[in-house]
Amino acid sequence: MKQNKINFVKLLKGYRDGWVAISHDFKRVVFHGRNLKDVMKKAKGSKGKVYYFPAGEAYSSFVG
Amino acid sequence: MIIKYSPLPDFKDKTILAPLIPVTFFNGKYEFSTFALVDSGATGAVISTVIADALNIKWNKIPLAQGFSVGGPLRSHRFNGLKINVYGHEFTLSIGIIEGASPFKCILGQRDLFQRAKITFQGYKSQFEVIFREYN
Repeated sequence: MKQNKINFVKLLKGYRDGWVAISHDFKRVVFHGRNLKDVMKKAKGSKGKVYYFPAGEAYSSFVG
Repeated sequence: MIIKYSPLPDFKDKTILAPLIPVTFFNGKYEFSTFALVDSGATGAVISTVIADALNIKWNKIPLAQGFSVGGPLRSHRFNGLKINVYGHEFTLSIGIIEGASPFKCILGQRDLFQRAKITFQGYKSQFEVIFREYN
């Protein structure tokens, strides 16, 4: 079984801050908010499952 | 399950590849879905305080413990009994709630996901494989 690539570069294009809600198939951003609480409020009551992810982060500096 | 590394944005239009998986956490009636970094160097799972808030975990009432990252000490609050679903496999974990977690807000590590599954990184193919253990 193989999972398709989840491309956050494409998904987050145009979102410079806050959090986004991503569709269950990982193909599009369905909601955006200035913070997590805000985007969860917008997504409340939506039919499909969504995945929350921060926008505006830079990842190259991470060492874990 | 073979999973391609996820391209992530960076400064100056550069792209970073990272092993991320979709996960869903459950704390009673509260549910939260996000993407977790699969980190073989992490002792155990961590989430940020904002995710803990979304799961209605009163993390600021949990005694502070000190944790460490490669960058030095960090402020952590230990929460036991959080449920997680990863590709249909559900289990309970003990999680560190980290103040100021950045850039990744959710990480799975050796004490949790790596106990449940065989994980093989294939950086040269920009992918990794997760094979969950079978329990009778």
